[in-house]
Amino acid sequence: MQSGTFHTTYASDVSLRPYWPQRIRIVMVLVAALIFPWFADRYWLNLANTIAIAAIGAIGLNILVGYTGQISIGHGGFLAVGAYTAGLLAVHLGTPMWLTIPIASFFTAAVGAFFGLPSLRLKGLYLAIATLASQEIIIWLLTHGKLLGIGESLSLPRSTNNLFGLPVEWLGNNDFAFYWICLAFLIFTVIFVSNLFRTRTGRAFVAIRDQDIAAQVIGVDLFRYKLLAFATSSFFAGLAGALTAHYRGVISWERFTIDTSILYLAMIIIGGLGSVSGSIYGAAFMVLLPAFLSNIARALSGIVPDINSYLPYLQQGAFGLAIILFLIFEPEGIVKMWRNVKDYFRLWPFSY
Amino acid sequence: MLKIISGYGRLVIEVCSKEDGMHRWKRTFGWWVVLALFATLLAACGGAGGGGGASSEPIKVGAIFDLTGATADVGTPYSRGQIAFIEWKNEQGGIKGRRLQLISEDYAYQVPRAEELYTKFVTQDKVLVFSGWGTGDTEALRPKITEDKIPFISASYSATLANPAETPYNFLVAPTYSDQLIIAMKWAIDDWKAKGNSGMPKFAYLINDSPFGRSPLADGTAFATSQGIETPLEVPSPRGATDLTPQLTQIRDYGANYIFLQNVSSPAALAIKNAKSLGYDVQFVCLNWCANEILIKQAGADAEGVVGVVPFDHQAEGAKVALEYARKKNIDYGGADSTFVQGWTAMSILIAGIEKVVNDGKELTGENIKNALETMGEIDTKGVTLPVKFSPTDHAGVKSTRMFRVENGKWVAITNFISAR
Repeated sequence: MQSGTFHTTYASDVSLRPYWPQRIRIVMVLVAALIFPWFADRYWLNLANTIAIAAIGAIGLNILVGYTGQISIGHGGFLAVGAYTAGLLAVHLGTPMWLTIPIASFFTAAVGAFFGLPSLRLKGLYLAIATLASQEIIIWLLTHGKLLGIGESLSLPRSTNNLFGLPVEWLGNNDFAFYWICLAFLIFTVIFVSNLFRTRTGRAFVAIRDQDIAAQVIGVDLFRYKLLAFATSSFFAGLAGALTAHYRGVISWERFTIDTSILYLAMIIIGGLGSVSGSIYGAAFMVLLPAFLSNIARALSGIVPDINSYLPYLQQGAFGLAIILFLIFEPEGIVKMWRNVKDYFRLWPFSY
Repeated sequence: MLKIISGYGRLVIEVCSKEDGMHRWKRTFGWWVVLALFATLLAACGGAGGGGGASSEPIKVGAIFDLTGATADVGTPYSRGQIAFIEWKNEQGGIKGRRLQLISEDYAYQVPRAEELYTKFVTQDKVLVFSGWGTGDTEALRPKITEDKIPFISASYSATLANPAETPYNFLVAPTYSDQLIIAMKWAIDDWKAKGNSGMPKFAYLINDSPFGRSPLADGTAFATSQGIETPLEVPSPRGATDLTPQLTQIRDYGANYIFLQNVSSPAALAIKNAKSLGYDVQFVCLNWCANEILIKQAGADAEGVVGVVPFDHQAEGAKVALEYARKKNIDYGGADSTFVQGWTAMSILIAGIEKVVNDGKELTGENIKNALETMGEIDTKGVTLPVKFSPTDHAGVKSTRMFRVENGKWVAITNFISAR
């Protein structure tokens, strides 16, 4: 009987999914994702889309925070850059979404790299404050939108929601159509980022996280790779922002405040720092938690009559409580819990 | 563990690993239980809802309130007013025997939360009509409202929602913020002249830093400049600020004679108090959301002389029912009579549309309710507002309102109805 997993070739050591249960699981998840929209109503599709978009943003943030070890509390601002770039293109030029989304993503990557410049000299808390400044600068520009000829809120023409000339309504209602678009982008993001950390660049990111001086000594160009990490991270923020803009149809800066940045940080901390799947779990957790609480309250309202009046306060508390409990009991996040479950079955009955 | 034990032989290792396994098993099992509970609850709650159609079923009304967010001070009494109206209506026998059911929740003034709750209430609970709250979230919901054909009233009176060509299902039950600001400016100009001043006064805006705060400014500035007034100074007050002295100093340096407050009560009260302690003698003019009793309560004696646009008159005949019902049922709305009455009246207007459809014997659909509201003529609020009248080309139900002033701790009407046009 096999007492563990051993790699006998380099190829198997670096392969993305070496074990057959993993491959089966991926197929199962994909099948579930393909079946889900046919049974879900618009409420669940809306939640699924929110999760998918949040997951793309969270994976982006995880590249920077979890893999490269740079702190950023300006992620909300980069989402806003993506959303407004796509929005402005769609509103003023009528550009369709298959163009606005990549343009917005690349533009946000450039903006992110620019705001990543201080990371060369700043670390830790100092960098956190520098990124906070970028958040505030971006939001300030948007609230004073008339200075730049940007309205405070943008409402995107529906006609720009088309893929290569095909309107997305062709796929079904807005939530259903965007489910496929968000899913496709999420899959792209997952594949891209999972593979990123099997490359030279990805390993350089991880080396910087683990010990930047040591990384520099072995020849990693800190400046270049830190900026690259900021750019890649912002690229996905821009992607998530642009998707939000086209999916929601109306955007205002209120959606991208500092609260959003903190929420994304909470997502990756709860999900698991430095893990792609963890970002998805974290996004799902943070989106489903309020929905779940309000559903419980609704179910209990027959038994506990006044629960609805306490609910708002419960919800506020639940977020804080969730983060504290995770930090105490499983600081490595949901992804570690899932790994524990898998390890238990894999190693049973001899867990040592 | 292994390292310590390894010398003691095979048996010990086995026992220990078994114990450890037990511990592990318990932990894993615990998580499985939590996950399973989570899944079943989600599924159970998802499965519920739906239905509708049969005439004995209650008529479902959706609403989102701000009870914990940035505008909770006025959001809470407004929500109490809306809930109270539904209860009162049901006690009166509902609509032709059919009960009304209000499905509502707090959304903490957060746009994504509003979207989620709106989608849930509309797609799962199948609410027929919806009562919203803020400017940002009402704007964000615009495309969905139109797509879902849900007649929608909001506590946001942003002028962009009044044009049925763009937002066919949004109805405004009060003068738009733009109209309110223009009405307030008209009063200010008259007041300036009545005090024997020559020339034109200087205006400034001290506003909530949000789409709500900025909503009327463009129209207001256009009106002011057309009257020969210098472009008013725009100063946002940061969310959650505890001191507005810097903002007020800026306005004082500009030399404004009138400050228009487009904000909720608590920050407005703070501004009024700060101005007093700064020794800045200026006329504050509140638009709808700070012209209420909370402002007087929080600003105390400093509130004396503040002028406000109060679109919903709580001293009117129609308000008595609401206030008496609240007294009878011991509803706590923090003493904000006018905001409570506003919530009550707004809901009553929306329900009037449903009642009309039921009385006409038509099927209850969003489209029919919209048509009823557009064609039913004047809705009488018994003096709380001027009669509300919607038309297929105009969804701003009320065009004029009166100015009030705080005198001896009470809002007292000081003008007749003024129209913006």
